[in-house]
Amino acid sequence: MATPVSVLRLPKGPVPNSRGFDPNSPRFIALCRTSIPTSAAAQSDPEQLQEEQHARSVLRERFLRCLLAMTNKKVQFHMHEKVNVEATFGASDIDVLNFQVSDLHTPIGVQKEALIRCQDVISFTFDV
Amino acid sequence: MQCDWLHSGPQLWLRCVHRQVRLRTGKQEEHRGWLLTVDPVSHSVVLLSFREDGASVRVVMGHAVKHVEVLQEPDQDMAERLRSFFLPPNTVSLDPEELLRRRLAVCRWLQKNRLPVEEDGDELRVAGVLTIKAPYRPEDCCSSNQIILDRIQRLVRLQPDPHLETIQD
Repeated sequence: MATPVSVLRLPKGPVPNSRGFDPNSPRFIALCRTSIPTSAAAQSDPEQLQEEQHARSVLRERFLRCLLAMTNKKVQFHMHEKVNVEATFGASDIDVLNFQVSDLHTPIGVQKEALIRCQDVISFTFDV
Repeated sequence: MQCDWLHSGPQLWLRCVHRQVRLRTGKQEEHRGWLLTVDPVSHSVVLLSFREDGASVRVVMGHAVKHVEVLQEPDQDMAERLRSFFLPPNTVSLDPEELLRRRLAVCRWLQKNRLPVEEDGDELRVAGVLTIKAPYRPEDCCSSNQIILDRIQRLVRLQPDPHLETIQD
């Protein structure tokens, strides 16, 4: 099943006003509703806010290093309805909404390049 | 520790890091592993599990996490292993002479490319916004400005090998 399938799927173009974490950008509001804002307690207390921000940045840095470690490795995606596909990880976007992968092995053939929606993925694994 | 995962804050997540957790994603699906991190943007949970022939990492997307329970604390060895898991490998420390030579070479290269650079102890400061630490490779550049960081990194990557530099520089 290694013959590439000639199916053209155009990815969504870039949105000119998306600023990553900006909660007022239309893209964020449309797609990223589950992303949490600062907690109410932290909003009133600057010291707690600072602690929370520090925690966020530590966690995010570790996550980004995890994504870096994953580039160009074979990753198994476990999706809904017990669908498992394998691909070579390329990149993620800033809000972790889409993953760019290469050589996606699907039941109907191998897609050379693909964008996987994170809403469709339950979990993914890779070996270190 | 049982919690409504999506609504807990980063401080709670940071406390759960490095502990062994059990995570439920569906009616029957369960995953166990050492918690490496939780992404504050997508709430994805990164779990590490060790096998005989190596380690595997499982990232569970935030929208799929139903329930997280802490199982055990790590011991000293495991804590150290988890802490350094995704960190870049430690560079071999070079002797001060070699560091000085490298620092001067990078400094000269940046000045040749018309960039204001000054030495700040062991570090190089470029245009007041970017710092290059020892051993002055592209990965050692730090800046809060993405564009400047990218430009300087590319420049440092293109630096010709100092051993081939002629005296006419």
